[in-house]
Amino acid sequence: MSLVQTQELTKVYGAGDTAVTALDHVNVHVNPGEFVAVMGPSGCGKSTLLHLVGGLDRPTSGRVWIEDTSLGDLNDDKLTELRRRKIGFVFQFFNLIPVLDATENAALPLTLDGTSPGDAKKKARAWLTRVGLGNRLTSRPDQLSGGQQQRVAIARALAAEPALVLADEPTGNLDTHSGDEIAGLLRQVSDEWQRAVVMVTHDPRIAAYADRIVFLKDGRVVDDTKLKQDGSDNTQMVTGKMHALAE
Amino acid sequence: MPIQFTLAARYLWGRKLRTFLTTLAIVFGVLVIFSMNILLPTMLQAFQSSILTASGQVDLTITHKSGETFSTRVLDQVENVSGIRAASGTLERPVNIPTNFFRQGNVGAVSLIGLEPKAAQALRDYSVQAGRFLRSGDTNAAVITAGLADAVGLKLGDELPVPTAQGVVRFKIVGIRPAQALPGNEPVYVPLAQAQKVLSLPNRINTIQANYNTNDAAPRAVIEQTIQNILGSEYQLGGLGSSSELFASIGLAQQGSNLFGFLALFMGGFVIFNTFRTIVAERRRDIGMLRAVGASRRTIVALFLAEGLLQGILGTAIGIGMGYLAGVGITSLMSGMFEQFLHVQMGAPVVEPSLLIITTLLGIGVTLFSGLLPAWNASRVTPLEALRPSVADVEARKPWSKANIAGAGLIVIAILGLLSNNIAFVALGGFAFLIGLVLIAPVLVKPLANIFSAVLGVIFARQGTASLAQGNLTRQPSRAAITASATMIGLAIIVAVVGVMVSITGGIYSVLEKSLGSDYLLIPPSLGVWSSDVGADAALADRLRSVYGVGVVSTLRFASTTVNDEQVNLLGVDPVAFPQVSGLNFTEGDPHDAFAQLAQGRNLIVNGMTATQLKVKLGDTVKLSSPEGEQTYRIVGIGSDFINTKIMTAYTSQQNLKRDFHKTEDVLIQLNLAPGADAVQVEARLQEILAKYPQFKLISGKAYLQESQQLFDAAFSIYYVMLVVLALPSLIAMLNTLAIGVLERTREIGMLRAIGATRRQVRRTILTEALLLAATGTAFGLLGGLYLGYVMVLGMSASGIMPVAYSFPLAGILAAIAIGLLFGVIAALLPARQAAQMNIIRALRYE
Repeated sequence: MSLVQTQELTKVYGAGDTAVTALDHVNVHVNPGEFVAVMGPSGCGKSTLLHLVGGLDRPTSGRVWIEDTSLGDLNDDKLTELRRRKIGFVFQFFNLIPVLDATENAALPLTLDGTSPGDAKKKARAWLTRVGLGNRLTSRPDQLSGGQQQRVAIARALAAEPALVLADEPTGNLDTHSGDEIAGLLRQVSDEWQRAVVMVTHDPRIAAYADRIVFLKDGRVVDDTKLKQDGSDNTQMVTGKMHALAE
Repeated sequence: MPIQFTLAARYLWGRKLRTFLTTLAIVFGVLVIFSMNILLPTMLQAFQSSILTASGQVDLTITHKSGETFSTRVLDQVENVSGIRAASGTLERPVNIPTNFFRQGNVGAVSLIGLEPKAAQALRDYSVQAGRFLRSGDTNAAVITAGLADAVGLKLGDELPVPTAQGVVRFKIVGIRPAQALPGNEPVYVPLAQAQKVLSLPNRINTIQANYNTNDAAPRAVIEQTIQNILGSEYQLGGLGSSSELFASIGLAQQGSNLFGFLALFMGGFVIFNTFRTIVAERRRDIGMLRAVGASRRTIVALFLAEGLLQGILGTAIGIGMGYLAGVGITSLMSGMFEQFLHVQMGAPVVEPSLLIITTLLGIGVTLFSGLLPAWNASRVTPLEALRPSVADVEARKPWSKANIAGAGLIVIAILGLLSNNIAFVALGGFAFLIGLVLIAPVLVKPLANIFSAVLGVIFARQGTASLAQGNLTRQPSRAAITASATMIGLAIIVAVVGVMVSITGGIYSVLEKSLGSDYLLIPPSLGVWSSDVGADAALADRLRSVYGVGVVSTLRFASTTVNDEQVNLLGVDPVAFPQVSGLNFTEGDPHDAFAQLAQGRNLIVNGMTATQLKVKLGDTVKLSSPEGEQTYRIVGIGSDFINTKIMTAYTSQQNLKRDFHKTEDVLIQLNLAPGADAVQVEARLQEILAKYPQFKLISGKAYLQESQQLFDAAFSIYYVMLVVLALPSLIAMLNTLAIGVLERTREIGMLRAIGATRRQVRRTILTEALLLAATGTAFGLLGGLYLGYVMVLGMSASGIMPVAYSFPLAGILAAIAIGLLFGVIAALLPARQAAQMNIIRALRYE
């Protein structure tokens, strides 16, 4: 069974003459442990898809299933709980709480879920060590580089042991080197820790780390390509596909 | 510790400057409430004792029916009755003075009064014109009146011999009181123990005087009954009736102070509300992220309430401490003024435990309550905010949003309230109007900013800063509106209160001129408390009329009556002469007709107070009790004069007064000079005639008018002090919001600097922005203030306290504009400097 399944997912912003269809009857699925990249030109609806899958926004029509739960059937409290337990988020701008240190930031989803602060911090420290920040546990966000902040965000996304990690342009705010590190880390999330990752990006080099790339254009899925992760460089192929679809 | 508290504490600690500024707002809210509540009761007591002193009366006088002395233990019993604010026992005995006892002058007798200085002064004022009053610890000291001092040729520091059972005792004169107004034995004040000793009456007193801690009729009656029950029927209780006119004055003062207290509370809450709104606005991204990673709406609300709670506790604690210091400071400052102008001594400020509890609850409660709406708003922030950081920068509020509709609705309600003529609705409308303005402000910011920036653009031509500042404001109208609202509330209060004061003073002065506009007045010792005055028979008025150069003479006669068991002062006037030399301020009825009707049968003109209290209107009939039985009078006009404004008073013809009340005594005489008369000559002649009537004092109307105006100005200066106390925090609130506004935009300012704005340009942008905000806030403040002021004046008239016409407070408006703009600049100086000095890299990284 798929971890994520969308069914004729449609999102329309505005109404009447100014209505913009961001997603147009989209059907996609994500398998457990799979690393999926969503690509497409600006305004193609890739972020909207991520928001709907993450339960951050409600669709105009259609459904989103996470395992056997239809998000449309949940009220705000239940949806919040689902986000807390099943989904981890990684944002373009890291979005760490400036007044909390790395451990406390990573522990947030657990503390919010009622886990005792001691246990939450223990788990957070473990994840921070796994993402390579074992030596920066008590640093505050303003004492960390962009790449390090994004690692904290990934540790935070994984702390509650979710089945799905959603990443919105996670490397959009980073230099090439840090970007590669973060993409590699997300690859590791999928390979080593068996979490499904859905990542929105416009960078072919970053998308090339994924198992599969879903291309969107004008709110519709126009291509769905599997990549071989056998050490070969897929960047050329992805770039080629992007250009072909843009025409 | 729950995550909410951890986060709250970290946010507070992590942003020390901002925490300091916002806590300051709470501190000031609490400070105003606390210091006002320390100040007002102290002031009220001072007012009370001043009024009581003026009339020489206290709430309660206890004597033994036999007139003999009794034990001081009775005083202890009275003091222990709950509801007694202060009580004092005195021993008073007339002492006959042998002829030629003093070196010069002859005095038949003096009244030796032994009292405990502290207790007696808590009860009423004993002002001295030279030296000091008695102190505890004095032994052979005495305070005498100027009258006695002049009569026997003694001065401060001399010894006053007093014949006693133990021979002549000498008291050192430590203070001289002003000459007493009423005839009688001259009082000689000595310490109680000394009086008991020289009169051989150890531990005995013969009078107890006490004041109550309430002005309400019902509890006063209870206190009186309790005391009577305890002391038994051999003791006689006397004092002020609960319908006494004096309470009207105290009630007025109390209403005024309640109004200030309420405004302070409103303002404190608003400042706190504002602060939280700002915090929520700038933390939208954090909130969005928390929501995205699984914080429920409740958690977000709890987070903000936790922050409110921490700040509330901190701010309240500091506010109470500072409020106490402010209360004490202002009291000592004002006591000087009180003594100088009103001859009243203010006691030490008292902090009741209940005040402490109430303020604490209020401070923390108001903080939490004011944080509720912003906290709820925060919980409505969608998780998407975290993903779209640019969203916060482009704010487009639809003109038909809920807040705007609610705001417009409230303003409509306010206007309807104004039209309703119902004082409760009108008062409610006042606050609806302010809240409506706050809600609708974001929509109005843009057009107003456009107008003002056009003006500033001319001043700062080619700098580009005016349009940048204007852009900053119109891009985020809510944030601009928050800052402008802080200014608005502060200035609204200033304009409103100045409006009320100008109206009241204007009203009083116009009534004064009408009531006391005659060329000369022959006034009795006690104006307004007619029953204690000894008048003159008609012969005096006739003699005055016969003086060459005297034109019209009008006299006032007095009788006491009751209507439905309510005490009413009935004044008899000459319907022809009275309107010529004096007059009434009519609120209903035609003056000419009304006076004409007074001459024809049992007709009455009642003043506003009477009309309100008795719920009567023009054309109604009332039954007046008279020595001839009940008489039916018809009301032909409603009008007031100055002296009797606060006392239930009715005017009728002297003919009626004579027929129904057998009163023919003139208690007040007013006269005008004939055209072309020689004022000096007439005055000399009048003085001659008056030599035989020592109960009257001749003054010229103009001089009296000036004297009264000075008195009022002094009394009102107290309200101006209160105004400053109230306005200062709101102006600091504006500084606070502006400074936070700069903090909030640190990153933006860094960007401006990065793309090439000079320090000067940044500074100027912030200053211009502040000026635009101040101008907008001032515009709103004027609107709100004019409305509030109008409402308050209307309220005063409607409740019958004083018939006042609303005067447009032009001076107040000009002052408010000047203050608003000046504070806009002052408030912006520090933040502008800070912004200009900002390290670009650090500013860009600022979260």
